[in-house]
Amino acid sequence: MKHFLVMCLFAALASVVFGVISKDTTRERWIYGVKVFAEFIIIGLALGWLLYFIP
Amino acid sequence: MVKSERLQGEPVESTPSAAWLIGLAAWFIPGSGHLLLKKWGRAAMMGGVVWLSFFIGLAMGGHMFDLSPDGTTATSMFDWSVLIQVPPMIADLGTGIAYVVTWLLDISFKEDPVQAARTTYEYGTNFLLIAGLMNYLTMLDAFDVATGRKS
Repeated sequence: MKHFLVMCLFAALASVVFGVISKDTTRERWIYGVKVFAEFIIIGLALGWLLYFIP
Repeated sequence: MVKSERLQGEPVESTPSAAWLIGLAAWFIPGSGHLLLKKWGRAAMMGGVVWLSFFIGLAMGGHMFDLSPDGTTATSMFDWSVLIQVPPMIADLGTGIAYVVTWLLDISFKEDPVQAARTTYEYGTNFLLIAGLMNYLTMLDAFDVATGRKS
């Protein structure tokens, strides 16, 4: 669980920066930030499961 | 129209020197570039993220990279085991003054087996790397705002 929380923290910090620098309006920044956050988490979990099966 | 004709027809605006100074300040003190541009919210968010990421990395016992040979496996600066540390050192260097201070105080630079055995060691190292890389993005954003390419 701690690993997952650290991954969430990492994703949150990175998505704030990506969101702020990438878009022009506040709404677009929020949407993009949430999208990047979700992508970090989903890809992280997917890679975690993939690597689990690789010896 | 070929490229040379377009370049002759359109005058190229030079980058104002203040933009370079703001870019330098943004690198050296994370968040200061946007502060100088009076972008308070962006300075707090982006500078805050960089500093937070850096201190979380330190608290987790992360490792920072420099080019000093460790004396056991590498004896010169051009040894492969030293050169492979160039990319992570460039990433760490992105934190500016934070990197300089920790380097001067020799915090997190030592190859310490006790530190490396911590569960959070790898996480901490990545947080430190990402802090630097995010500050490079912050620096470029401040530079673009200072040149007027971005609002």
